[in-house]
Amino acid sequence: MSPATLQVHKLSKVYPTADGPAGGVREASFTLEPGAFFTLLGPSGCGKTTTLRSIAGLETPDAGSIRLGERVFFDAAAGVNVPLNLRHIGMVFQSYAIWPHMTVFENVAFPLRVSKQQRYDRAEIRRMVDTALDTVSLGGFQDRSATRLSGGQQQRVALARAIVRQPRLLLLDEPLSNLDAALREDMRTELKRLQQQIGVTTIYVTHDQAEALDLSDRIAVLNGGRIVQIGAPRDIYFRPQSSFVAGFVGATNLVHGTVQAGCGAEAVAPVLLADGQVLHCLFPRPAAGSARIAISIRPEAVTLTPAEAPRRDGWNRMQGVVATSGFLGNMNRYGIRVGDAVMQANTGPEAIFPVGAAVGLHFPSDSAVAVPD
Amino acid sequence: MNPAPTALAAGAPIRPLGHRLARWAGPTGPLSLATGLVLAALVLPPLAVLLQVSLTTVNPDGSPGALTFEHYARLFADPALYRSAWNSLLFASFATLVSLLFGGVLAWVVERTNAPMKGLAYLTAIISMGTPYILYVTAWLFLFGRAGPFNDWYRSLSGSTGILFNPYSLWGMILVEGFLWSPLVFLLLSATFRAANAEMEEAARMSGASILDTVWRISLRLAWPAILAMALFVFIRNLESFDVPVLIGTPGRINLLTTDIYLATKEVPPLLGHASAFSVVMIGIVGVLLLLYGRVSRSAERYASVTGKGFRPRPFDLGRARWAGGALIGFNFVIILGLPLVALLWTSLTPFARPIRLAAVPSLTLKNYRAVFGVASYLDLAVNTLLVAAGAATAAVLITLCAAWIAARRRAGGTALDQLATLPLVFPGIVLGVAMMELALRAPFPLYGTLWLIALGFLVRYMPYGMRYAYSGVLQIHRELEEAAGVAGAGPIGTLRRVVVPLLSPALLSGWLFIFLIAAKELSMAVLLSGPGSQVMAVAMFDLWTNGQGGELSALGLLWALLMTLFATLFYALGRRGSAGAFGR
Repeated sequence: MSPATLQVHKLSKVYPTADGPAGGVREASFTLEPGAFFTLLGPSGCGKTTTLRSIAGLETPDAGSIRLGERVFFDAAAGVNVPLNLRHIGMVFQSYAIWPHMTVFENVAFPLRVSKQQRYDRAEIRRMVDTALDTVSLGGFQDRSATRLSGGQQQRVALARAIVRQPRLLLLDEPLSNLDAALREDMRTELKRLQQQIGVTTIYVTHDQAEALDLSDRIAVLNGGRIVQIGAPRDIYFRPQSSFVAGFVGATNLVHGTVQAGCGAEAVAPVLLADGQVLHCLFPRPAAGSARIAISIRPEAVTLTPAEAPRRDGWNRMQGVVATSGFLGNMNRYGIRVGDAVMQANTGPEAIFPVGAAVGLHFPSDSAVAVPD
Repeated sequence: MNPAPTALAAGAPIRPLGHRLARWAGPTGPLSLATGLVLAALVLPPLAVLLQVSLTTVNPDGSPGALTFEHYARLFADPALYRSAWNSLLFASFATLVSLLFGGVLAWVVERTNAPMKGLAYLTAIISMGTPYILYVTAWLFLFGRAGPFNDWYRSLSGSTGILFNPYSLWGMILVEGFLWSPLVFLLLSATFRAANAEMEEAARMSGASILDTVWRISLRLAWPAILAMALFVFIRNLESFDVPVLIGTPGRINLLTTDIYLATKEVPPLLGHASAFSVVMIGIVGVLLLLYGRVSRSAERYASVTGKGFRPRPFDLGRARWAGGALIGFNFVIILGLPLVALLWTSLTPFARPIRLAAVPSLTLKNYRAVFGVASYLDLAVNTLLVAAGAATAAVLITLCAAWIAARRRAGGTALDQLATLPLVFPGIVLGVAMMELALRAPFPLYGTLWLIALGFLVRYMPYGMRYAYSGVLQIHRELEEAAGVAGAGPIGTLRRVVVPLLSPALLSGWLFIFLIAAKELSMAVLLSGPGSQVMAVAMFDLWTNGQGGELSALGLLWALLMTLFATLFYALGRRGSAGAFGR
């Protein structure tokens, strides 16, 4: 089946507890183009898994609507709720959920055997299962017992089972979180290749920002049950719309200040810090004069020089003293005391400054991004 | 720039009014409803009929008459009630104490020390699980009775003509009941001790505590809620006990609550109103105790220090005292298995009851075995019993499978199903027997005196056990295994059939065997429900006993116990494998 557009509109689901409603998701809305790789990213309890499970039909939302192409899966206002087994969705669970009493073949063949919309004959099932297993590079594992698989192999079986009936939507619930670090990198590459190969619209849930940035066409960052930003990975990273997004997606330094003069979108304008310094920052959106804002400066954007080096054109310069230093192989990580605060700076392994040295911190004004305080 | 906080300020989104109803309209709604109807049809009528009969007079034609409180008034006015209640209380309390002390110490010695001959303790417990209580009771009665070897030796040693020990006394009953229950206490407590976190004991030892200190301050304190819960459970079962009271108490003129009910139904004409009022009172007492038990066992679960680690706790080194531990295991074997076996063998081989003496050996005969094999009705009896027990176990497992799945997954109606399936715990066997008898007498089709009635009674009575097995089994299945089936396109029935049942099958088989084993030896209910054409093994043994055919009883019982031991061994092996898996081997 061809991939379809997924529309989620004002989806809400809260869990009532003795202490009032907790967790869940509130008024989440997004639209996915066919074939998109979309990631729900956020800390635990942010509502990303609830959103995914609502789309799958494993949870019944309190309000909102979900539709895939022409098909309405859920609409609270119209009283529509398609049972999960009729939604024709592929899903990979966090625990993989490989049935231990079946062989690899039977696990993958299961969706075809229980299908109600379409009957498959024996030869078709064999062909489709073989194709799915070949796609995940598990050809020849058909008769293996499901209990005799490594974590990575279980992951592949789960993936094969999810794609075997060519679903219009593929849901992945933290599929890499149970793998060890090296395997996780491999599977990430594999997953990306696979999704591009079969072109299925995919929603991926993770709390790992590196996975999200690497895999996705678009990312929705969630916090406290709400989507706080949706955008392409570069937008999310370089144009965070809140200090939460800036801090959650990658490490950052946050400096607080006041806008000196109002400016338009995508403009560079001066910001007055509490200690009287002025930094030139990029404003992704218009700002009013004398508004309180925070400035996000990525540690890798900072270049360190000896204290006496002059300010470069179009760059900011701050002064500080090296408080901590750590050697991580591919870089040095410094903590620089600037006034009362400590700022992180990641430099190349060749830039060596002793603890206690006075240094200058340099960063381009378009790497100092203003976010709401 | 921030998302508008309006909805947050408004609190939780308003749930549509039909939300609770929508849960019922969900995919498991119909299954939930069907299971609920079956459960209600099984569980509620016995309660209702007892209440009705206890509150109405009987017209001369047998139909129910006017409302009356007379049955209750007469019951409470009769001083015999209070005598029986006091006897029941003494009997249940001390018998609980005996089985708990004996079974508990044995479980600790076997599980947590390096005492020798541990296998013997398990062998004893397994064989005792399949053996009808009535067989034990008759064996011990023979051993300690007037003509038994102990009183015989006492007479020949002391030269007196009296007896050392009279088993037909309250204390005799207490000892016998205590020994009857000690194997179960042993099996349950050994599981508790096996699952306990040994690091807590090791930490105490490393802090300088002696073995006794550690046991007293750590092991016992940790296991205490579990022990208390079990004590309450055994106490309830002892209060409901029928076999020992009727076999020992009635001949010894010691009446208990359960035997009073039984005797009321045996009057001509049967005093059904009296028996029903009595039964309702009994249900009230057991109900209160069960509520208490629920509380205690919940706190026991909170206290459980199960370790997920895959090592076996290091046993305590008893030093020289390990031989004392071995002696205890040996004593348990002799008293629970060895002596009764010898007694049964002896009585089955002697033509009439006589003391164990060398002089009697030439008179030994296989006459009793020939009688057992020669009479076709004994074969019918065995087939009847197996059919009834297997039928009840199968139905109970099927019904509780659905109920437990819905309850454990918190689907619509789950709590109600759980309560319905657990409700029959309030029925002592004799009480449910009275209720089923009254129901059968009113049934529009001939039900009384058929095997169906007995099977139905067993099904109602043992459903709670099926529920426990299935419920804890479902909890051990990772939820995502079911969700994956749903997402893959399977409906609720498909998920149940293709994923839940196969994964649950070890738990279901264990539950089936457990119900099968206890149903095959149940006497209290069957004795009221059996007709001439629907005899089961325990009732036939009871009749043989009351007719004085002890030899044939022993021969029949030994053969039957042998068969049941096969099932018990299977049950034990399954449970052992299951718990090994659960605790990571």
